[in-house]
Amino acid sequence: MQPQNGIPIDYYIWLAAALFTIGVLGVLYRRNAIIIFMCIELMLNAVNVLLVAFSTYLNDAAGQVFVFFIMAVAAAEVAVGLAILIMMYRNTKTTDINILNRLKW
Amino acid sequence: MKDFLWLIPTLPFLGACILIISGNANLPRRAVSIVGCGSVGAAAILTIVIMIDFLTTGQIPEYTVIVNWFSVDNLSVPIALHLDTLSLVFVFVITFVGFLIHVYSIEFMHHDESFARFFAYLNLFVSAMLMLVLADSLILMYLGWEGVGLCSYLLIGFWYEEEKNGYAARKAFIITRIGDTALAVGLFMLFAELGTLRIQDILTLAPQQWATGSTTPVTICLLLLGGAVGKSAQFPLQTWLPDAMAGPSPVSALIHAATMVTAGVYLIARMNGLYVLAPQAQLWVGIVGAITLLIAGCSALTQYDLKRVLAYSTISQIGYMFLALGIGAWSSAVFHFMIHAFFKALLFLAAGAVIMALHHEHDMFKMGGLRKQMPAVFATFLIGSASLAALPLISAGFYSKDQIIWLSFASQQSNIWFFLAAVVGAFITAIYTFRMVFLTFYGEAKTSVSHMPGNLITQPLVILAVLALFAGFIELPHTFGHVTLFSDLFSTTLPPVTLRPNVESHEWIIQTSTGLLTLVGIAMAYYFYVIQPKIADDIHASTIETHRFWYAGWRFDSLYDAIIVKPILFFARVNKHDFIDKLYSALVELSEMMSALFSRSQNGILRWYIMGIVAGAVIIITFTLIITP
Amino acid sequence: MNRSDLYSLTPLLILSSAAILNFFSISIKRNHKVIFAITVLSLIGDFIFLTSYSLYHQQHIDPLLVVDGFGIFNIGLILLTTLVVALMSYAYFEQREERKEEYYILLILAALGACIMVISKHFVSFFLGLEVLSVSLYSLIAYLRTRERSDEAGIKYLILAAFSSAFLLFGMSLIYATTGKMDFGGIGYYLTTTQDIPLIMMAGLGMLIVGAGFKLGVVPFHMWTPDVYEGAPTPVTAFIATVSKGGMIALLVRFFNAINGYQYESFTNLFTVLSIASMFVGNILALRQTNLKRILAYSSISHIGYLLVAFLSGGSMGAQATTFYLVAYFITTLGAFGIIATLSDQHRDAELIDDYRGLLWRRPLTAVAFSAMLLSLAGIPLTAGFIAKFYVITAGIGTQHWLLVFCLVVNSVIGLYYYIKIIAVMFDQKLQIKSAKELHPLVYVISSVTIAVLAVFLFWLGVSPEGMLSLIDDVI
Repeated sequence: MQPQNGIPIDYYIWLAAALFTIGVLGVLYRRNAIIIFMCIELMLNAVNVLLVAFSTYLNDAAGQVFVFFIMAVAAAEVAVGLAILIMMYRNTKTTDINILNRLKW
Repeated sequence: MKDFLWLIPTLPFLGACILIISGNANLPRRAVSIVGCGSVGAAAILTIVIMIDFLTTGQIPEYTVIVNWFSVDNLSVPIALHLDTLSLVFVFVITFVGFLIHVYSIEFMHHDESFARFFAYLNLFVSAMLMLVLADSLILMYLGWEGVGLCSYLLIGFWYEEEKNGYAARKAFIITRIGDTALAVGLFMLFAELGTLRIQDILTLAPQQWATGSTTPVTICLLLLGGAVGKSAQFPLQTWLPDAMAGPSPVSALIHAATMVTAGVYLIARMNGLYVLAPQAQLWVGIVGAITLLIAGCSALTQYDLKRVLAYSTISQIGYMFLALGIGAWSSAVFHFMIHAFFKALLFLAAGAVIMALHHEHDMFKMGGLRKQMPAVFATFLIGSASLAALPLISAGFYSKDQIIWLSFASQQSNIWFFLAAVVGAFITAIYTFRMVFLTFYGEAKTSVSHMPGNLITQPLVILAVLALFAGFIELPHTFGHVTLFSDLFSTTLPPVTLRPNVESHEWIIQTSTGLLTLVGIAMAYYFYVIQPKIADDIHASTIETHRFWYAGWRFDSLYDAIIVKPILFFARVNKHDFIDKLYSALVELSEMMSALFSRSQNGILRWYIMGIVAGAVIIITFTLIITP
Repeated sequence: MNRSDLYSLTPLLILSSAAILNFFSISIKRNHKVIFAITVLSLIGDFIFLTSYSLYHQQHIDPLLVVDGFGIFNIGLILLTTLVVALMSYAYFEQREERKEEYYILLILAALGACIMVISKHFVSFFLGLEVLSVSLYSLIAYLRTRERSDEAGIKYLILAAFSSAFLLFGMSLIYATTGKMDFGGIGYYLTTTQDIPLIMMAGLGMLIVGAGFKLGVVPFHMWTPDVYEGAPTPVTAFIATVSKGGMIALLVRFFNAINGYQYESFTNLFTVLSIASMFVGNILALRQTNLKRILAYSSISHIGYLLVAFLSGGSMGAQATTFYLVAYFITTLGAFGIIATLSDQHRDAELIDDYRGLLWRRPLTAVAFSAMLLSLAGIPLTAGFIAKFYVITAGIGTQHWLLVFCLVVNSVIGLYYYIKIIAVMFDQKLQIKSAKELHPLVYVISSVTIAVLAVFLFWLGVSPEGMLSLIDDVI
């Protein structure tokens, strides 16, 4: 598998997987809700990288179109998410997700 | 008309639903009576319309109405009703006699607080009983079978404030359960062997599957007989019926005389094709009937309680039906069932009127002299008794019972013992019946009459009395008249009886002698209880062992108590801390522990939940990668 | 896009226009009644329009959507469910002081997302539908700002849902990377031409299951369910429990049939494990729970486990069983949550079991309806739940999934315990005097009639399910 620019297509899969894993670990380790959002964005971007790479590789526009949809949706998600975060901040004066444990058992 | 068949069991059921939902407080008594009687009355009218339809068109009705509940894949669950002449006779008796008893109950139960509850149970019973006889498959029949058992339990214990009534209800329920268990096992075997529980399929498949007399049908038939014996209070499970008299008199009339206790007769008659394949089992049906009719008759001779006499006589008369079934006289059994339903319902209702009039006095030796005070009740009671004692020529009971006695002599499948039992039974019946009549209505009055029965009580009595007199004329013996209207109905549904060769000439001898025997019995009763009441009092006062033995129902209760109840109680005491229960409580504890353990995972911490998703993802991806197709 | 495409998409267009109409209506004047009327009328109108389609309608709108009988049936189900949710919302929100008008916009949008999901046959439409649904749900869950813990439920759902849809997307992109296709048909075609499925593709399918599993709330992705159910306003909980899960199930059925996933033992094994784990964990967790909304959440986990049994049976029988189960489950769940919603006051939801102590003596009809719903959830005969469960078991036995059927039966028994426990509490004689400020009784009429209609449907489906069965048979 040797695309035009010389970087093997497999590398993109590894890159995307690495980015995605970093995102997952970030979500797992961080306590600040905003940073968790950023890590989720990172995961989505890993997806975008993969889609764009293969879209070019396969000469198929669908992948890139999908990327735009994902970006738009991610923006919407963050907009709503931040609104809810502000709501939470007003109630609790913190964005630390560890204090969210009143709903349990 | 057949499209409305489904309404017959549904109407009483709806009535029961309305009454149960509205309860005792929300409906006025008038409305309760209208709903209660109206639903059964409407069912009775429908039945009569269907009957007329068939009598005029001359067709033997036989069809199935299917309401398909649901069908999934290849399995469909139809709720089907099957009406043929056999079920038609039962449906007629249940709805018509049931309606009369409902009407009677309006007055009888008028002062009871739980008026609506009573009618709710009665309606429920009628609908379950109709389901039982109309069911197309044995499984639906079993539903009705258990339904009537439940209603019987509820109604025996209707006055539940008194402890002994509750005891009687439980006794009836538990003893019939023994039979029901046998029946259920029989149904399982049938299904395992034939793969269907539709009655018509069974009757067509069975002869192809089994040779006559092979073990399987005999076993199945004996198990079914077990169910029938329990429900119909036959030997050896007869002990519950006398105690069941704790219920209100209309209940005794409807459930414990006219309908439910004859469910066993219906079951065996319905499964006639199986019993033909199992002559050994059929012989046992006859033996059970013969034994029962004798021991119950003897017990009836010695009772003091008016209703218990009637209860034992019911057991004995059903014994006759079983005897008839056992000798292959199928239609005679059904005929006797119908006539018995008329006169026994009449007797119970009349007895109820007497008991009500005498401040709930049950003891016959404290009654007497009611002939003048309650002429209507006396006349109808006398007619019922004549029918029960099979007074020759003029009573309906003569024609039905005479047929059975004659066939117990003439049938191919009968033997001399059956015949003797039938004849002796007829003699005993005449004695105890008229003992009852003379004790209650003749002699001097010992208790004052407080409540004269009104129209709602006397009219059903009169209607039933007319039936108890004249219903017999639709089937007259060969020797005179030779009318076979009734048995013609069954030409396709039930097999005919096979007679031994060259017996026809003896028929009139047997008829005359049994007729004479009955008259002798009545005369004896008259002598002992009217002319020389001193002798009766002596017997009554004496403590002859036989007398006490018979009075206690041949001490079956003590016997069962000793050999079954006591050992079980002993084991129950030994096993006080049920060791089998340990298994289940361990399961419960395990579940509780698991629940506590799992709920640790629902600790409300978001990062833990994220961890769950990641772990799940890792497991799933590994799973898919390792076990790739 | 031609006219017949447009005709097939009209239900979705009606929903979108209803949302926009609500916008305008709010910008002119805030009026709860008007918004409610617009919402209800447009949902009813939409449903009536939907009935004009023939059962065998089939319209491919390439490459994204396909409007067929199955899709139409599910859209109808979603519309009716949303209608019921909207009806029960009125009384619930009328009691609260906060702004309630935007709620209906979000509700309509969420329904729109679910509708897109059930007719999509392409990853893009799948993802868009899912996200329209999810984003609306984030706001719906956290809608009542002053309500205790709704922020917590909102954040939890938001982070977990976004996280799991990232998995879903990664799975999609991996599948795209190997097959070059994003429509279900294309992927299915690729699978038929390939003997050896690449590992990356398998990983992609696995991640897809993670994303879908989260939405369905199967073990081990179930942990959000009770928290969100408890924290969200009750009508929203009803919506999550029904539309959000049902939409995903319908989509899974379509996707699995398109790629013929039943032939891969690894997937059927995987779903078997998920199904059994869901049944047991859901039921066992519910045993000692005292919060009714959480009980229903746990019970929904196990019900998804039961549903997977039908789903795993595959073929038309499996699809029919799944659909029928969904219908029965929708009715029951809506009824149960509807009753919780009607019994709630302006301060808190009636979510503790103790709130129901002696309910039979206070509000007999409500208690009877609630008992019916619970019995249906437990699968007692003469209710829709029985027929549904029976159907599932038949499907399971027909395909020899003995282990699954065995677990299903065992779990039905466990489940019975906590359903009956609630009923027993309602029959308790000890009266609890409750003095809540009552609204105008007319407000409750809507909710009560809704519940009554649901109860009637429940029994109707239980007593004579033939009509619904043959309808489902026709659309599949």
